[in-house]
Amino acid sequence: MRIVRLLRVAHLRARSLLRPADLDAELERELAFHLEQLTTEKIAEGLTPVEARLTARREFGNPALFAERSRDQRRVRWIDDLRQDVVFGLRMLRRSPGFTTVALLSLALGIGGNAAVMGALHGVLMTKLPFAHAERLVIVQTFAIDQPRQASGASILDYVAWRDRSRTLDAIAVSLSGPRQFAAEPDGTPAESIPGLSVTPGWFELLGVAPLHGRWPDTTRDAASDAARVVVISHRLWRQRFGGAPDIIGRRVRINGVSRRIIGVMPADFRYLADNVDCWMPMILGPDAARRPGAGRPFVVLGRLKPGVTIAQAQADFDAIAADLANVSPERHKGWGARVQPLRQAMYGWTKAPLFTLQAAVALVLLITCTNIAGLSIARTTVRRREIALRAALGAGRARIVRQLLAESALLSGAGGVLGLVVAAVGLRVVTTALGPPASAPHLAGLDLDGGVVAVAVLLSVLSAFALGLPSALASGRMDLSSALNASGAAAGKHPSGHRQRGMLVIAQLAFALVLLVLAGLLAHSFLRLSGRNINMDPDGLLTFEYGVVPAAYAKQVGYINGLPHFELNVPPARTIDRLYERLRQLPGTESVAGISYPPVNSLVLPTTIVALEKNGTRDVREVPYFLVTPGFFATARTPIIRGRDFDARDTDSSPWVAIVNEAMARSFWPGEDALGKHVTLGNGPDERDREVAGIVADIPTRLNQIDAAPVIYASYRQQPSSYAGRWIGMFGQMTFLVRRRGDMASVLSAARRAVSEVDPDRPLVRVGTVQQHLYARRSESRNYVLALAAFALTAMLLSAIGTYGVTAHAVNERTREIGIRRTVGAGRREIVTLVGRRVVPLIAVGLALGLAAAAALSGLIANQLWGVSPTEPATYAAVSVVLALVSLLACLGPVRRAIAVDPTVVLRCE
Amino acid sequence: MPKPSDLLQGTLDLLILKTLAREPLHGWGIAKKIQWLTDDELSVGQGSLYPALHRLEQQGWITAGWKNTELGRNAKFYSLTREGKQQLEREMESWKRLSGAVGLLLKRA
Repeated sequence: MRIVRLLRVAHLRARSLLRPADLDAELERELAFHLEQLTTEKIAEGLTPVEARLTARREFGNPALFAERSRDQRRVRWIDDLRQDVVFGLRMLRRSPGFTTVALLSLALGIGGNAAVMGALHGVLMTKLPFAHAERLVIVQTFAIDQPRQASGASILDYVAWRDRSRTLDAIAVSLSGPRQFAAEPDGTPAESIPGLSVTPGWFELLGVAPLHGRWPDTTRDAASDAARVVVISHRLWRQRFGGAPDIIGRRVRINGVSRRIIGVMPADFRYLADNVDCWMPMILGPDAARRPGAGRPFVVLGRLKPGVTIAQAQADFDAIAADLANVSPERHKGWGARVQPLRQAMYGWTKAPLFTLQAAVALVLLITCTNIAGLSIARTTVRRREIALRAALGAGRARIVRQLLAESALLSGAGGVLGLVVAAVGLRVVTTALGPPASAPHLAGLDLDGGVVAVAVLLSVLSAFALGLPSALASGRMDLSSALNASGAAAGKHPSGHRQRGMLVIAQLAFALVLLVLAGLLAHSFLRLSGRNINMDPDGLLTFEYGVVPAAYAKQVGYINGLPHFELNVPPARTIDRLYERLRQLPGTESVAGISYPPVNSLVLPTTIVALEKNGTRDVREVPYFLVTPGFFATARTPIIRGRDFDARDTDSSPWVAIVNEAMARSFWPGEDALGKHVTLGNGPDERDREVAGIVADIPTRLNQIDAAPVIYASYRQQPSSYAGRWIGMFGQMTFLVRRRGDMASVLSAARRAVSEVDPDRPLVRVGTVQQHLYARRSESRNYVLALAAFALTAMLLSAIGTYGVTAHAVNERTREIGIRRTVGAGRREIVTLVGRRVVPLIAVGLALGLAAAAALSGLIANQLWGVSPTEPATYAAVSVVLALVSLLACLGPVRRAIAVDPTVVLRCE
Repeated sequence: MPKPSDLLQGTLDLLILKTLAREPLHGWGIAKKIQWLTDDELSVGQGSLYPALHRLEQQGWITAGWKNTELGRNAKFYSLTREGKQQLEREMESWKRLSGAVGLLLKRA
C-alpha cells in the first residue's frame, strides 16, 4: 500500500524535476480550461462574449500567481530555485568582473592559507606518530632545578635509577647520538662520518617499528661478545653508500675501527627525534653500568607508560624518584629534576609557537577577507537596491531574495574554496619550509593535502559564504520598497545603515591589518637585527670542516675530582692535530688556516670552563664558554684584536701559558681595569697552570640569536694540561678548521681532503662547507617563517586598502551631485578633498588607533620568538602605522581625483 | 461568503477529497460542486484550489489524468487514489471530532 504511494510520489517528483516544462504547459492548459469554463458561464448569464471574457479574467485573478503557487507544491521547488539562483548569481558575478576577481583572489588566499596552516597544525598536534602505542611513548629528561627551562638528557646513572625505580613505565630504553666513522671500503668508497645512534636492547621493540630488511639486534641470539658488533643502517645509507646492494645483510663494515656486521635496514620513512641518523648500534650496558662514571647527561631516555597511566602520574612518579635520588646520592643527583614529556611533544613541541602565530595570522587574513567582501557586497546590494526592490515588488518573497544573495556568495566562496585548495597545496610547502628543512621537522616533510585540509577548506568556504552573503541579505530585508523604487537612479544607492556598516568593516579591517603588520614587523625587525649583527668574523671565503678523534683514543678516566670525571690525556691527539694543522697551512690556494675546538658560533655543544680570579683577597669563580684554538685563529677569522696579540708560535707547552679573553669578559671580570696582563686559573684539573691574559678580542657571539655579548675565554691547544677534570673531554680530540681560501672552493677542498687522508687515512672530514652555510643553516628557516608572515601581513594590507578604496569610491559616487553643486558655486579642489576626506580619514584614524591598541595587547604572545626586540618596540609600531596610513590614503587617491574631476554641468544636467 | 483564504487548509483538503469520493472531476467541476453542495455558502477561489490540488497530487492522495468532458473538451481530471480514500476516512474522522467538540462547547459554554 505504502509502496504504491511512494512509487507514485517518486514518479511525480522525478517528473517535476526532469520535465518542469511539461508540467508548466499542463498547468497552463488546466488554468486555461478553467478560465474558459468561467467565460462560458458568464455568457450563459447573458453577457456578450467580449464582456464575458473580461469579467471572467477579472474574477479569475492573476494566473501567473496561481501557477507560481501551484509550482510551489511540487516539493522540488528548491532545486529549481537553486538552479535559477546559481544561473542568476553567475550572471551577476560575470557582470562585475572586478568585484568577482578581488573577491575570488582574497577568498582563495584566506581559505587556502588557513587550510594549509591548520593542516600543518593538525599534522603536528594530532597525527599519530608511526610507532606502536605512540600515545604512551615518553621522553624523560633532566633539568637543573635552578634552570628549569633548560632541559638536558640523562646520565647513565639517571637511566639506571629510573629503570630500576619507576613504577609508571613498563619499558625503558636509552640512546646516545654521535658521529660514527665508517672506514673506506675495499671497492674504493671513501671513509665517511655517519650520524649514528647507540641504543640499548629493546629500543627498536619499544618503538614497534619493523625492519625493512634483516632484523633488529637481539641480545639472546647474538652471542654476548658478538652482540655489540652489529649495526642497523638507514634506507638512505643503504641506497647511497652501498648502492642498494641486495646482499647487504651480513656484510661487514669497519666503524670506529671495529668490524661490524650489518643485520638490518630501517624503513625509508623512519623518523625519530633527529631525522638524519643513518646507523644504529646496540649499546650493551653491563651489570656494572651504574657504577661506571658518567660524564655529562648526553643520553636520551625513551619510555613507555603503563596502560592507563597519565603524563601527570608519570611526572609525579619521577618527581618522587628525583627527590629520593637527591637524598641517596646527592653528589650526582642533587639539584636535578626529571621531566616526562610525550614523545610527540619532544619531536614537534618547538614548532607549536610559530605555527600558532601563523595560524593567528591567516585567521586574521581570512577575517579581513570576509569583512572586505562583505563590505563590497553591501555596497553592491545598495547599488542593486532597485533591482532587488523590483524583484520584491514582482512577488519574490524575502526569503527568496535572501536565498538569491546567499547563492551568489556561495558561488563566490565555493570557487574561492577551490582556488583555496590550490593555495593550500602550495601553502603547505611554504609552511613546512617556513618551519625548517625536513631534517629538523621530520614528519612535517610528509605533510600533504589530505582529507583534513580539504575539510577545513570546505568548512571555511561555507562559513565565508554566510559571512559574505548575510550582511547584504539582512540589509536588503530592511529595505523600504517604495522609497527604493521611487528614488532617482543615482540616489538609489543611498542607504545610511549600509554606510555605517561599511565604515565599521573598514575600521575592523585596518585594525586587523595593523595587528598583523605589527607582528610581522616585529619578527622581521628581530630577524634583521640578528642577520645584520656584527659577529666579528668575516665568513666570506671561509671554508670549514671538522676533524675529530673519539675520546677513548686519547683519554682514560682515572677517578673523580669534585664529582667531575678525571681523565688522563695522552699526547697523540694534540700531536695529530698539530701535524694536520702544519700540513693544512701549506695548502695551495689558501691565505691562512686555523682551528678551534668547536664551531665558534652556533655550536651544538658549548664547553665551558671555570675561571677563578683572585681579587683583593677574595676568590671570584665563574663558568665561561671555553675554546681551544690554533695560532693565528683570530687573524684567519678576521676577528679584531682590541688589545694585545693573537696566539702564535711562541705559545708552546714550555713557554708561559696565556689566555685570550673577549671584550665582554674583560669588561665583566675587570670592570674599569685593563684586563691585559691579568692572571686567571682555569678549573680544568690539577695540571692547569696560571695563565696571563695576552690579548683582548672583539666578541664573537656563541649563538647567532644571542643579543648581548657574553664572556668567552680562549687558550692555545698547545698549552693544555696532561689530565682533565670536567665534562667536556671531547674538546681535546677535535678541531673545526677554518680555511681562508684564495683559490676556488672545490680545489681547495679536495686538497684539504688529501692533506687529511695523508695524516690520518681512516678519519673523514665532517661537516664540510662554507662558514656562511653553517652560520646560516638555521637562518633560512626563520627567514621563510618571517617571509610567510610578511606575505600574510601584506595581503592583509592590500585587502584593507581595497576596502578603504571601496568606501571612498562609494562616498564620491554618492555625492557626485553635491560635489557638482559645490563646484558650481565656486568650491576649490581643497574643499572637495576635505569633503571626501572628512568621510574617510576618521575611519583610517580609528582603525589605526584600534589596531595599535590591539597589537600592543597581543604582541606579548610572540615575545619568546623575538630576539633583542621588545614586543612593544615603538619604532616598529610607528613604521607600520605610517605605512598602513600611507597605503590607505593612496587607496583614496583615485576616487578623490575623480571627485575633483567632476564636471558640474554634466552632473547637474544628468538629474 | 468566506474568502478562500479563510478556509483552513486542512478543511479545503477535506472538501476536495470528499468531492472527489464519488467521481473524478476537473478543477472547475470541483469548484462548482463545492459551491453547489454547500448551497453557494462556500466558494473556493482558483488561487487556493489549484495549489491544493497539486499538493494533494504530490502527496499521492489524488491522481490526475487528461480526459474529455461530456462536451468534448480536454480537461485534467482528478480522482481519489486508494490511499486518498483512507486519508479521507481519517480526515472525516478528525473533522467530526473537531466539529463535535466545537458544537459541545457552543452548547455548554
